[in-house]
Formats: sequence, structure tokens, C-alpha cells
Amino acid sequence: MRVDVRALGACNRLAERGAEQAAGALTDLTGTDLSVEVTGASVASGEDLAEAFAGRESIGVSVGLRGGLEGEAVLAFDAGNVDALLSLLPGGASMGRSAVSEVGNIALGGFLDGWANYLGTAIDMTPPRYFEADGAAVLPDGALAGDGVFLFESRLDATTTDLDFSIYMLPDSGKFRDLVVGKTAPAAAPGAEGGAGNDGAGSTAVPYESLSTFASLAKRGSANAADNIAMMTGLDTTVDVSRLRFVPLADVPAEVGVEPHAGTVFELQGEPSGYLAILFEEESAAKVAASMLPSEPDEPLGGMAENALCELGNVMTSGFIDGWANVLGTSITHSPPEFVHDIGSAAISPLVAKLSRRQDYGFVIDAAIQTEGVQTRCDVYALPDERELARALDRLSES
Amino acid sequence: MSHHPSSRERAPRDGSDTPDGGRIKVGVSDLAVATGDETVTTSGLGSCVAVALVDRSTGVRGLLHAMLPNGTGTDTGIERPGKYVDTGIETLIAELEAAGASADRLEARVAGGAEMLDLTDAVGPRNVARAEQCLDAAGIPVVERAVGDGVGRTVRFMADGRLVVRAADGFERTL
Repeated sequence: MRVDVRALGACNRLAERGAEQAAGALTDLTGTDLSVEVTGASVASGEDLAEAFAGRESIGVSVGLRGGLEGEAVLAFDAGNVDALLSLLPGGASMGRSAVSEVGNIALGGFLDGWANYLGTAIDMTPPRYFEADGAAVLPDGALAGDGVFLFESRLDATTTDLDFSIYMLPDSGKFRDLVVGKTAPAAAPGAEGGAGNDGAGSTAVPYESLSTFASLAKRGSANAADNIAMMTGLDTTVDVSRLRFVPLADVPAEVGVEPHAGTVFELQGEPSGYLAILFEEESAAKVAASMLPSEPDEPLGGMAENALCELGNVMTSGFIDGWANVLGTSITHSPPEFVHDIGSAAISPLVAKLSRRQDYGFVIDAAIQTEGVQTRCDVYALPDERELARALDRLSES
Repeated sequence: MSHHPSSRERAPRDGSDTPDGGRIKVGVSDLAVATGDETVTTSGLGSCVAVALVDRSTGVRGLLHAMLPNGTGTDTGIERPGKYVDTGIETLIAELEAAGASADRLEARVAGGAEMLDLTDAVGPRNVARAEQCLDAAGIPVVERAVGDGVGRTVRFMADGRLVVRAADGFERTL
């Protein structure tokens, strides 16, 4: 099957609106201002999902869908976040289950309203079923076996706390797949990107299998980058999360956050071109740099640390994109590192701005790499050009 | 229960329904108008530019967080006028007027537009230049600015029209 990345953009818009409705409902319920910080859509394979959910506990509601969409939708909060959610509600923890059901129901309702508008048909929801689930059991039935699920994740920001929730939708074959897969979005539908169906939509439709292949490639790249950190610093490293997502580019800075970060950014040249940023929180940056230097630097993030981080960035980036060129059958190189040390979102904003000249949504590969012993963590953001990536992925399926 | 299609468009995410005294957050490529005593904030301005407009006689204020200078001749951004400095300022002025401000009385404060990276050919300074140009064309005076350099900024637009700009190094000044 083919996935039109532009249609994925439209889906994302709907997910964003659904999340806004959820935020609005929560604001009414709690009296606390909540706003949607980030919404991302991705296509996740069963294998990836099982891995991502290992050891996680979730609480939420699931509903069956009939009518314009058939299948199942699940809204889940991380169990660790539920206390934060409940603390916002007037009845506190005693409201537990009913509050989660209520919030989940309202949020899913809002989410599906958007879809009903988009599809131009009614969607019926069965009454919500409350669940507490370990690991991948949270996912709709059949998610692990088939092609995977369409995953919509949102993060809500409250003045006092951050709340994350995810909506997983596993539609049966039918209208949804026709919509997202292979066909272009109706241009006039609300939420569709202007003219998405008209201007060479073929150039943004990619085979689902290639998307999965690229997701695996991104994962391997993260592992390579982590190995290279281990080699240079002598610290044991692990890749905590590695995901390929499709997000509104304007949301990326918020995702990086306002904490001070240090790291390196690179321009990628070739097909796909784009940018890559490796960002450490300040303290982590200083620790990693120190582990590479023969003696304690005078300044935690001065010139010596900067050189160390640039060198590290270089090998991480090589590791990360190593293999892309082989698999995609293209040539990709990267610029020398440029050191950044600033508010995280400010550091990444020029990259997002540059890419945004041609696209509103983008694939983001984000990987969180952790070191053991000396506790540090860095995030790698790869931002490839959408059209070039789609072209390369399309070629991938032909070879 | 059933979810039927409706023709009603959701209100834009401008936070205008936030109760008085609250905080309205403006994201990247976004803009918001405030008529009460809310604080309008936007964070992590790097090469992006923030344009804060106020009509002091009515207290109607608005904040734009734009990413790129020119919306004309581009094939994206139809959904988000706030993505571009020019379309963003135009939309913000229109929304301020709709909320009771008079364009003749507006004054502007501009922040951001830092030159964060060599890689990205001075998009920050070009954002600032475009903002000055658009504001000049609209006859809106820029009363103060905290722009350029290589430093990220976070801004808070207060109910009294002051713009508090905090730089990444913690230095704070009020425009």
C-alpha cells in the first residue's frame, strides 16, 4: 500500500484539532489552562510498537468505530501521568476511573468529530471501555499482527504540569485506508492542505513498506550514533527511543523545549537533503565533553568542550546517516558541525525555518540516547526534505 | 453516540477564550490577540521574530511569532498566516482591529531575529528587516526593539503594553 505523506499531513491537522478539543474539555473540567504543545502522527509497525511499549503501563479508554470509519480507537495516558491528570480534577484521586473515562471520551469524541467533518460522513462510537493495560496490550486488537497502527500523539501543557496522551487508531480496511493510503486527500475538505491533491501529489505518495524500511534505517542510525558516543567517551550508551514521525514543523521547537541546550547542527546534502541537530541539555553536554577531555576544562562549556562536542557530533552524524545512502541508493554528505548553545527551541528554530520554506509538515526522526554511569541524555533530530525523501523512498520500492 | 459532520470551523488556536489574568501562549507560526489583563507569551525565539502590537487607548494587544520573512510566492503556509512576517503582521492588524483597536494608534515592539547559525543564511536579520518594512508600510511606529545577536529569547507581553524580553543568558530587559 502507498501512504500519501500529504494526506498524513491532513490527518495530523485533524489530530491536532482533536487534541485542542481535548485540551478545551480538560480546561473546562479542571479550571487549569491547558494548551496543545505538540501533535505528531506516525505509522508504527507491530514490532516497533511492541518494543516501544515494553515496560509501560497505560490507562485510558477504547471505543469501537462504525460508519464513516470502522475499527477501533484508543486514547491512553501513561500511568505515570495519571496522577498529574487527577490532581488537576476537582474530585482528585477519588474520581480516578470515571474522570479518565470522561476525559478520554470527550477527547476521542473531539478527535472523531474532526474525522467525520473531513470524511463528510457520520462516525458512530460505541460506549467507551475503561482499561488499565501493561505494555502493548493497550493497542487496538490486531495492531501487532498487521501493518501496524496510525498513531497520533499529543502533549498538553498545563501551567503546573505536562500531560501526554496518545490516540491509537486501527481502522479496518475501508474508507480510512482509502483516504490515507494511495488516494490523495480531497482538496476542499477542511483540514486538507491547500491543493494537496492537485499539485503533483504523486511525488509525495510513498509505499508503506519503504516508510517502514526507512523507520528501521533511522533506528539503526540511532544505534550507530550511540555506539560512536560509546567509542569516543568510553561511556556505555543505549538508545532510549527512536521514532520516525510526521509532524507540523512549527511544533518542533516546542518539542525541544525551552531549557538551555548545547550541541551541534549539520546540514545534509544529497538526497534527501535537510538538517540534523544533536542537542544535549546543558549539564549533559558538559558531562559528555568532560568525559572526552584529558583534564577538567576551565569552563564547563567553553572552547575545549565545544571542540569535543563538535568532534562527537561529527562521528554521531556519520554514524546516523551511514547506511541511508546505501539503502536509498543516493549519496548523502554532511557539512562540518556548527556548535550551538542556547534555549533549545531557539537553537533549532532556524533549521525549521529553512525547511519550512517548502513544507509545513515534515518527517522528524528523533532519537534519545542515554549514557550509563555518567547520566547524560541527548536528542537527535533529523529533518529531511519531504519531497526528496518521498522520492528516494519511492525509488526504494522499485529496486 | 454519533459524530456528525458539521460545517462549523473550529476557532483558530489564538487562545482568545482564555479567562482574564491568564496566560496566552503563542506557538511558532502563530499569533494571538488579548483584550483583558492576560499575559501573552512566546518562548524560544531564535531566528524567528516576535512582533508585539498595542493600542494603548483600548488596551487591545497582539503578539506574532513568525518564522520566515515573505509569504508571497511560496507554496506553503496557507493554513498559518503567522508563519510569515508579512502575512502575519497583516493578519494581526486585522484581528486587532476586529477586537476594537485602531490601526492608527498601534505601536510596535520587535524582538528576536537572532543570527543563530551560519548554516541558515541570516534568516533572523531578514525577518527583522521584513518586520520593520511591513510595520513602516502600515504606518506603525516601532518604539523599541531587542533584535539580532546570536542569542535566543523568550518574551512576555504584559497587560500594560510592556514587552519583557529574557535572553538565553538570563539577561532581562523591558521594552
